[in-house]
Amino acid sequence: MTMWRGTTLRRGRATETRSGPRWSTRRQVGAYVVLILGALVFIIPFVWMFTTSLSRRANQGLPRIPTFWPPDPSDFNYMVASANLPLVQFYANSLITVTAVTLGYLFFSSLAGYVFAKGRFPFRGPLFLLFLFTLFIPFPMQMIPLYLLVKDLGLSNSLAGLVVPFLVGGFGIFFMRQSMMSIPDDLVDAARLDGAGELRIYRSVMLPLCGPALATLAVISVLWRWNDVLWPILVNSERSLYTVTQGLAIAGRSQGIFTGVAMATAAMAILPVIVAYIIFQRWIIRGIATTGTRG
Amino acid sequence: MPFPPSALSPDPMTTWQRIRRSWIWYALLLAPFCLFLLFVIWPTINAFRLSLYRMEGRNEVFVGLDHYVRLLNDSVFIDAIGNTVLLGVAFLVIVLPLSLVLASLMNGIRHFSTPFKVIYFLPQVTSAVAIALVFNYIFQPDWGLLNAILRNLGVADVPLWLAEPRHSLTGSRAAVTILAVWMGLGYFVIVILAGLQTVPRDLYDAAAVDGAGPVQSWRHITLPGLRPILIFLIVTGIIDAMARFSDLWMLGGPGGAPARSLQSIVMFMYQTAFESGNLNLASAVAVIFFMIVLLITAVNYGLFIRRETTTT
Repeated sequence: MTMWRGTTLRRGRATETRSGPRWSTRRQVGAYVVLILGALVFIIPFVWMFTTSLSRRANQGLPRIPTFWPPDPSDFNYMVASANLPLVQFYANSLITVTAVTLGYLFFSSLAGYVFAKGRFPFRGPLFLLFLFTLFIPFPMQMIPLYLLVKDLGLSNSLAGLVVPFLVGGFGIFFMRQSMMSIPDDLVDAARLDGAGELRIYRSVMLPLCGPALATLAVISVLWRWNDVLWPILVNSERSLYTVTQGLAIAGRSQGIFTGVAMATAAMAILPVIVAYIIFQRWIIRGIATTGTRG
Repeated sequence: MPFPPSALSPDPMTTWQRIRRSWIWYALLLAPFCLFLLFVIWPTINAFRLSLYRMEGRNEVFVGLDHYVRLLNDSVFIDAIGNTVLLGVAFLVIVLPLSLVLASLMNGIRHFSTPFKVIYFLPQVTSAVAIALVFNYIFQPDWGLLNAILRNLGVADVPLWLAEPRHSLTGSRAAVTILAVWMGLGYFVIVILAGLQTVPRDLYDAAAVDGAGPVQSWRHITLPGLRPILIFLIVTGIIDAMARFSDLWMLGGPGGAPARSLQSIVMFMYQTAFESGNLNLASAVAVIFFMIVLLITAVNYGLFIRRETTTT
């Protein structure tokens, strides 16, 4: 949603030394109690979604006492939901577009970031300012002209229409420039003396040293594109091209009383994301904490 | 008699010569720059241009500021702005103190802060659309989870939540504010926690030696240390709130049902452009939206950021 924002909150590595006040055991216990209660508030809706998705009776729309396990567990709702929606197709569409956007975004951001971090050429300052300025433009501002442009280019109702507009952005270029500026100039000069061209230096010197920054940027790009719904619903009206989020948005709004089916649909869209999140949580949380950007 | 150019007296290079010598940088920048011009700069300029025209058949007719006059006299649009601001303010007023307390607690505990971070941040990785779909049923008055819990607690007169359009602490606006806090809290906690971890422990130890209690050291060490991050969260939080769309659209449709109680500026823009089909009027909405965001940023700059950058 908000790729245009760009501030690096923390420069450099987090300090390894402990921070914060020293607390007595009693205060620690109190803190754990509050935090566990808070954690329950975040977990219970997901648990409820899952247990409701297993209950056939949940489609009757009758007041029920919430239980942690449905009295009538079955895969009925999942069968109905997957018969209604080609979710495998949606997942393929999402994976293709998100991968393509992210690879392109990382490539262009790091390339332009390298030019602005290590290049010396006329008009470097004004050009960089032009990129920087767009950080302050929220996406809805550009949304309608972008829709017209993509339509004129013949990219509406194609997966390319979900990819091409998001390959270059001010935030990525700004972010990569910042991290490449921390790489010593001596390293670049030494490579130049060895006869390496700029493209070679970018590929063999800069990229390997920017691994963590690229990973952070990848996390932000994936979250941003995977969860977006506004752009897909504008340019994509063909069901075979829906992304997961778009399919969920359009199907979910029409489930009415069928709570069980709706929750099964939501679960099929959410659970794989949660699994990916748990695998990559270290990268994701570090990326958010250091950039303050949440995709 | 001509002198050969020497290193000792370099003739000053003209700009053109310097440009020619650095062709490689321009070459590397060419592809990203063209994409940027086409997909970022041009749409931004075009939004301004479109807002000054009207379509007559296939022809564009210049109408000046007519669209703006029409919008500012449209009570539905004004209400959408007011509603977006109201929802944004309610969200920030709740989420900031809450996340400050939770982040402080997380910073104080000795073990297991990672699982808490992972759990609190969970709603941020799942899409607002999926969350809104689940919460649509959690808030369902007759068989939803929330009212089931309230009934078990002995509340006889359970609230209508999303079905109640009036301004009420248990109405639709309250429901979407609860939803927004639930979704956004983890992000605020993690960013504040990252800020807390840059405040060195020595400061707290020194304060303890001087006899400061926990509340005093929180007031005089923690809060000042967090100032830049809190300002960042407020500024970006306001901008995000102004651009709110996905969850409200999911729960209330483009019209923000019931009774437009969930309508936001971006939803109004969406409705104007893609339901009424008036892309030019919607572009004027986009420009006004941009101006509001710019104004808020400028005011924030005057209030907070300038002091921040000049005193440090």
